[in-house]
Amino acid sequence: MATTQSPLTLSSATFAKLSPHPYLLANLQPPDASTPSSRTNGRQPRQARQPNINTSSLSHAHGSAVVRTGDTTVICGVRGETLLTTDIPNYRAPDVVNPTKSDAVAEADELRDYDLLVPNIELATGCAPNFLPGVPPTTLAQTLSTRLYSLLHSSGLVDVEDLRIYHDRPEKQVPRHGDKMEEVDADEEEEDTAEVKAYWVLYIDVLFVSFDGNPFDAAWAAVLAALRDTKLPPAVWDPDHEMVLCSRKAPSSLNIRGMPVACTAAVFTAKEKQQRKGEQGQYWILVDPDRFEESLCDEALTVVVDRTLGETKVLGISKSGGTTVGPQLMWKYVTVAEERWQEFKSAL
Amino acid sequence: MADRRRVNGPVGPTAPPVYNTAAHKPIAKEKADNSIRKIFLKTGVTPSASGSAYLELEDPKANSPSSTSLKLTCTVHGPRALPRSAPFSPHIILSTHVKYAPFATKQRRGYLRDSSERDLGVHLETALRGAIIADRWPKSGVDIIVTIIEGDQDRNAPENKSDEGWDMMNVLSGCITVASAAIADAGIDCVDTVAGGVAALVARQPNSPPAIVLDPAVSEYHKVFAACCVAYLPTRDEITNIWFKGQLPGADSMLYNRMVERSLVACRNANRVVITALNETVRPGKESA
Repeated sequence: MATTQSPLTLSSATFAKLSPHPYLLANLQPPDASTPSSRTNGRQPRQARQPNINTSSLSHAHGSAVVRTGDTTVICGVRGETLLTTDIPNYRAPDVVNPTKSDAVAEADELRDYDLLVPNIELATGCAPNFLPGVPPTTLAQTLSTRLYSLLHSSGLVDVEDLRIYHDRPEKQVPRHGDKMEEVDADEEEEDTAEVKAYWVLYIDVLFVSFDGNPFDAAWAAVLAALRDTKLPPAVWDPDHEMVLCSRKAPSSLNIRGMPVACTAAVFTAKEKQQRKGEQGQYWILVDPDRFEESLCDEALTVVVDRTLGETKVLGISKSGGTTVGPQLMWKYVTVAEERWQEFKSAL
Repeated sequence: MADRRRVNGPVGPTAPPVYNTAAHKPIAKEKADNSIRKIFLKTGVTPSASGSAYLELEDPKANSPSSTSLKLTCTVHGPRALPRSAPFSPHIILSTHVKYAPFATKQRRGYLRDSSERDLGVHLETALRGAIIADRWPKSGVDIIVTIIEGDQDRNAPENKSDEGWDMMNVLSGCITVASAAIADAGIDCVDTVAGGVAALVARQPNSPPAIVLDPAVSEYHKVFAACCVAYLPTRDEITNIWFKGQLPGADSMLYNRMVERSLVACRNANRVVITALNETVRPGKESA
């Protein structure tokens, strides 16, 4: 079409397809100074896509969320299943009566040792032409699952207390009074014979409906929103049936500590011969890159911040590939992440 | 051996929650036997795919967290060249893939496809093959992927009630309809838009006589005797796929024919939704007449 109109010029879509790297460079580095540099998707280099979050849209999951940032759409479903302590190999009963000083450490160990959080990412849903089903999880899917898993544990998002299912020993039980069992849940801290009989295991499944770059930020936001939405039914151990029984009344939300938000940027560098005279090592920080930009950038930087308590806490910085980003730049980038946190805060 | 490419969770077995009381059954909105549930259909949900569509079915029980039951997305990739190693093919090679999300049904699904999902994939392929003009793309292939985000199951059904797989019929008809819209969105030439529809022979109460209903929400009936899922091309009046399951009581030989005829009515209704959705894509903002 374009060739018939004017054989000497190419349409921008054709140019993008034929030589993507110079195309993005030309956009970021306009020939005349009057036009501001912008990305191929029309955004400013520091401009992220506005997140859009919906929760509780699935009926079979205990908590769910749909997160959209631009053309990246992610669904996350959290489903609780019960795990008996007798089925856990090398199980050590936690000290629920006298919680020690290093409580937080012990809790994290409980979550990690017994694998109570099971995050998985499925990319092979045809969400982009290079993710087709019928193949084992790609490297990207495996990496993302592992990053989610470690961030879930290191951020201490989930309180293990919410996942414990208690039983008070029969000698202390008030004989045969129907409602007594449910009251136990509320005051097990005082009950000196309360015993952990089972745990909730949270299966956190993340499904990509549409993939347009920046999978980790979207997936993490979906996990966070779904966990905040999760309501588990009150459960007690029934010694007669030797199983966990749940009741239908008043499911309780999880206590989610804080609200960490991930913010990813890709670093775009001009190749040696493309650089203008006198401008060495030019680079652009592209916040919230799309699929096209991700394919052209080697270097990526992710910062996880939490500002729930007013001041900024950095929960994680990860950088891979390339040599451009130094400590100074990372420090400056935290302010970008702070803005991103505000965007997600208002969306949640 | 555990799959080490995924996060597998605890070694011990985990069980879905068991409740001590039965859920109160919400009263379903009365649906006429000869109507289908409302369908929401939208194309273009996955911009990077050649074609895509999203389908939702209305849930007659309005007090559930969301007011819809069945949720499907479909992406179409292609037509594209077959790999060099593939043998010559004079027509387009369809490959269909149907997968439940892990949180789609009452029982958590694994990530590997099980036999029912493969079954749905094969049915979907036969249903679509009749509609696509395959000779126009020699030496090429197209991938059609349907992901079931939420199945057509009742959340509050008791755990011990055996699931006889009747909901698979509704899922298949939804898959056919959504795939048809996605194929049209991808611009693949078809003789007609194919649509899926289900008719079932059910008993509402334990002692009521069996009756034929369209698009059955399985949990609302006491017993389903038989169900029939048809893929139909309305303008050509052709059927591309029939899936009949169950037993017909008595010796009424016409009952089978009547069921197929009724499911064609469901197909025509679903097809109207497809046409409207596609019209909306072509002429956005303008209500199709």
